[in-house]
Amino acid sequence: MSGRRRIVAGTSTLAVLLLALIGPWLVRGSISTPVAVPYLSAGGENLLGTDVLGRDVLARVLTGGRSLVLQAITATLLGSVFGLMLGIATAVTRHRRTGQALLRVVDAFAAIPALLLLLLLASGVTGSDAAVALAIALVSIPFSVRVIHERTAALAATDYVRDALARGESLPARIHYDILPGLAPVALAETGIRFVAATQLAATAGFLGLGAGAPAANWGRMVRENSTGLTMNPLPVIVPAALLIVLAVGVTLVLDRAAGRRAGGMEEAGALT
Amino acid sequence: MRLLPWIAVRVAMLAVSLTVLSVLVFWATEVLPGDAVGAVSGPEATDAERAAVRVSLGLDRPAPERFLKWAGAVLRGDLGTSMVSNRDVGEILTERAGASLAVVIPAAVLILLFAGGLGIWAGLRAGSRLDRWLTGSTLALVGTPDFLIATALLLVFTLWWPVLPAVAIVPLGQSLWQHPDLIALPALALALGGFGSTMRLLRASVTQTTSTPYAEFARLNGVRGARYVRTIVTNAAGPAVHAFTIMTAGLLGGGIVVETLFNVPGLGYELARAVATRDVPAVQGLSLTLGAATLLILLAGDLAVRLLNRGKEAS
Repeated sequence: MSGRRRIVAGTSTLAVLLLALIGPWLVRGSISTPVAVPYLSAGGENLLGTDVLGRDVLARVLTGGRSLVLQAITATLLGSVFGLMLGIATAVTRHRRTGQALLRVVDAFAAIPALLLLLLLASGVTGSDAAVALAIALVSIPFSVRVIHERTAALAATDYVRDALARGESLPARIHYDILPGLAPVALAETGIRFVAATQLAATAGFLGLGAGAPAANWGRMVRENSTGLTMNPLPVIVPAALLIVLAVGVTLVLDRAAGRRAGGMEEAGALT
Repeated sequence: MRLLPWIAVRVAMLAVSLTVLSVLVFWATEVLPGDAVGAVSGPEATDAERAAVRVSLGLDRPAPERFLKWAGAVLRGDLGTSMVSNRDVGEILTERAGASLAVVIPAAVLILLFAGGLGIWAGLRAGSRLDRWLTGSTLALVGTPDFLIATALLLVFTLWWPVLPAVAIVPLGQSLWQHPDLIALPALALALGGFGSTMRLLRASVTQTTSTPYAEFARLNGVRGARYVRTIVTNAAGPAVHAFTIMTAGLLGGGIVVETLFNVPGLGYELARAVATRDVPAVQGLSLTLGAATLLILLAGDLAVRLLNRGKEAS
């Protein structure tokens, strides 16, 4: 991929992220009261027309991204922190059996379809954006643990780490000075891949109607709600869909090289949904 | 490790995974705050009414006791009765599985043909123009959530080129298999969702094989054309089978989305509906079945790869 395309992908992704985060502040008036007949075409007072209930599409687009982006960011941070801790712990522990057993449990989780787990957990705590974020984090942890574990195990077997062990360095010191520097690039790439997967899952959760309840706007849910009116006003479907695609694909393209280095990395992220 | 002990270990791991899944299913549906009581008694129930419902559902018993009772029934093949339709969950399952398979099987065949063909082609010509174009565009496909791919198809076929029905409405008493026009869009959406990652994995595996010493040996010996392709493909088969099992297992998850969007009356559609109506026994039965199916597919794939590699060692 050329550097130019990467820059284009990067800036458009940043623009969508920014729009999602500050969008709710730009809206005047209510996003849930109908302003005109359903599926009014674009133009005039309603720049993007109206949706299935006659609500202003532009206002809903502006407010529909924040919870989704925040869910993805929270889930990525939570998942990465836990993945990092568990991954390092299972690789440097002296209790090899405990470490291996923990990895087996992690594997058992990884085999269960992410969407199924997401539906299950979100159904336990209905109508909560936080529950969705937590569920996404839980789903992503097994993959992080695997990657971080492999890399840490490789680093722990290097001569300089063994050297530090022989010198009698403490465990925190070994992790801080000998393992983390080598782990950082992998961990960063991993976090990026998790963010793509988390964005996809957050959008899909919205699409399936999980998270905050009906009047709240959500790009994923907008696509679903308005898919019956495609022939009358396609904009309430196309605009949020396009924003979601730019967000997910943009990050994927930016990460392309990092993901390619770790063979199959992005493919695993794709398999998540 | 010998084959039989290996299978035993894998089956034991499958059992552990299923146990983890069943605990999770039970915990999410019955222990977390949004439990069955709220669904049965309705939002306006008084505390006394809720307590009565709690007792009548047996929810006043401790959770581990209820879990064991439920798990025991499941092991005997009794998945309980749906709280919404009052029908046997097992019965609903068998009925819905047909519609799901009607979409999943064509999708898997499509992926097998296209991802297989293009993956091998691009892998053999790594770095060529076509390869670069394919890797670039499939990367975008991989990044796009399944439901957006499905929506894009819906958009194309309802707005710009309305030749296919957008929503699967199966006439009463008929099965989805009798209506290929209804299957086409959902199957295509599912296939596109899995195509990108499968093709990329296959391409990577073929490229890797072309740079091995025996591939070079074959080239130096003048093996060309179909014979060379066969050499490469048979040797890249292990990772390829692995890629296909992951893809097939993923189709079940993607099915939840695609079936919901196209109203295909399959397992995923039923699960999404059961979650929305808080039909606890149905959610439990459906998610356990989907999870078990995924785990079984992954196990079958592992076994196939293992057998393939054995054959290679022997020769």
